[in-house]
Amino acid sequence: MTDTLDPNVSGSAAHAEAHGDHPTEKAYWQIFAVLATLTALEVLWSYLGFEGPALVLPLLVMMVVKFALVAGIFMHLKYDLSIINGKYFTILFSFGLVLAIAVYFVVIATFKFQI
Amino acid sequence: MTDLATPPEERDVPVESHHTDHDDHGAHHTSLGLSNMKLAMWLFLGSECLLFGALISTFLLSKTRFITELAAGNPNVIEGLLPADQAAALAEQGVRGGFSDLPVIFQEMASERSVEAIFDIPFTSFSSFVLLMSSLCMVLAHKATEDGDYKNQRIWLATTALLGSVFIGGQIYEFTAFSNEGLTFGGSLFGSAFYTLTGFHGVHVTGGIAMLATLLILSFRGKLNSDRAETVELVGLYWHFVDVVWVLIFTIVYLIP
Repeated sequence: MTDTLDPNVSGSAAHAEAHGDHPTEKAYWQIFAVLATLTALEVLWSYLGFEGPALVLPLLVMMVVKFALVAGIFMHLKYDLSIINGKYFTILFSFGLVLAIAVYFVVIATFKFQI
Repeated sequence: MTDLATPPEERDVPVESHHTDHDDHGAHHTSLGLSNMKLAMWLFLGSECLLFGALISTFLLSKTRFITELAAGNPNVIEGLLPADQAAALAEQGVRGGFSDLPVIFQEMASERSVEAIFDIPFTSFSSFVLLMSSLCMVLAHKATEDGDYKNQRIWLATTALLGSVFIGGQIYEFTAFSNEGLTFGGSLFGSAFYTLTGFHGVHVTGGIAMLATLLILSFRGKLNSDRAETVELVGLYWHFVDVVWVLIFTIVYLIP
C-alpha cells in the first residue's frame, strides 16, 4: 500500500497524480503568450502580400501549431498519455482526427477545390 | 509515492484499491484509465469535429463556386446580392440587375476574385485574441478548482464567461455589418455557408457561456469543491474545443483568401 492509496489523501492530490503532472499556472500563461504571438504572426503574414502557397502554407502551419498547443496543453491530451492506457486513447483520438481530415480533403478534392 | 502512470499489474497495488483515488473526485475507474464522463465528452467532441469539418468543407466549396460565378457575371448570383428595394424596382421595370448595380463591396470581390474584401481582419483578430484569452482563463479556473482556491475559481470562471460574451457581441456586430453591406443568409451560396458555419460556432460559444454560468452558480452554492474538479475539466474541454474550432475558422475562412 502506498501513500496515494491512503483514504486520507485529498481528492485533488490523487486527481493530479492520476492525470500526470499538469502544467503550472506560469506555464499556462507562457502557452497563451505563444498562442497570441502566433495569431499576431498569422495576421501579419496575411498582410505581407504573399500569394499562393507562400501565403497559405505558413498560415496552415501556424494554425496546426496553435491547434496542437490548445489540444495538447489546455485540453491535457499530452498529459493523458501518462494515465493508464492513455496512449491507446490518444492514438485512437488522433487516428479519428487524421481520418476525418483526410476524408474532408478527399471530398474537397472531389469537387476540384483549388487553394 | 506511487507512479500511477504505471499499470496496476506492473506495481504492487491491488486494482480494487485504485478505485479509491479515482472515486475521490467523482470519477469511476475504467480499463482505459479515463472516467466514463470524460470519455463521453471526448466522443461528443469527436462528433463535433465531424460537424464542423463538414461545415468548413461546405464553406470552402461554396466560396469557390460563389466567387467564380460572381466574376463570370451570373445574373442569378447578382440578383441575390442586390439590395431588396433595388431588386424590386428592377423587377418592376422588367429588367434584370447588372454587375454595375451591385454594392461596391461585391464589385471588388469580383475584380479581385476573392471574398476577403468584406472581412474586417483587425476586428476579427481582436475577437480571436479574446477567445484565446478565455481559454487561458478556463484552464486557470480548472487549476484553481483542483487547488481548492475557490475565490480564484469564481474569478476565472466569471472572466471566461465574460470574454465569451464579448466574442458573441463581436459576432453579432460583424453579422449586422455584413448584412448592411448586402451579404445576407439567403442572398447567396457564400452567405449561407458563411453564416451557417460561423453561426453554429456562435451557438456553441453561447452554450458554453450557459455551462460556465451553471458552474458559477454551483460554486456559489458550495457544490463545486476540489473533489468535483472533473466537472470543471469537462466544461473546460468543451470550451477549449470551441476555441480550437475558431483557430481553424479564423485561418481558413478569414485569412486565406
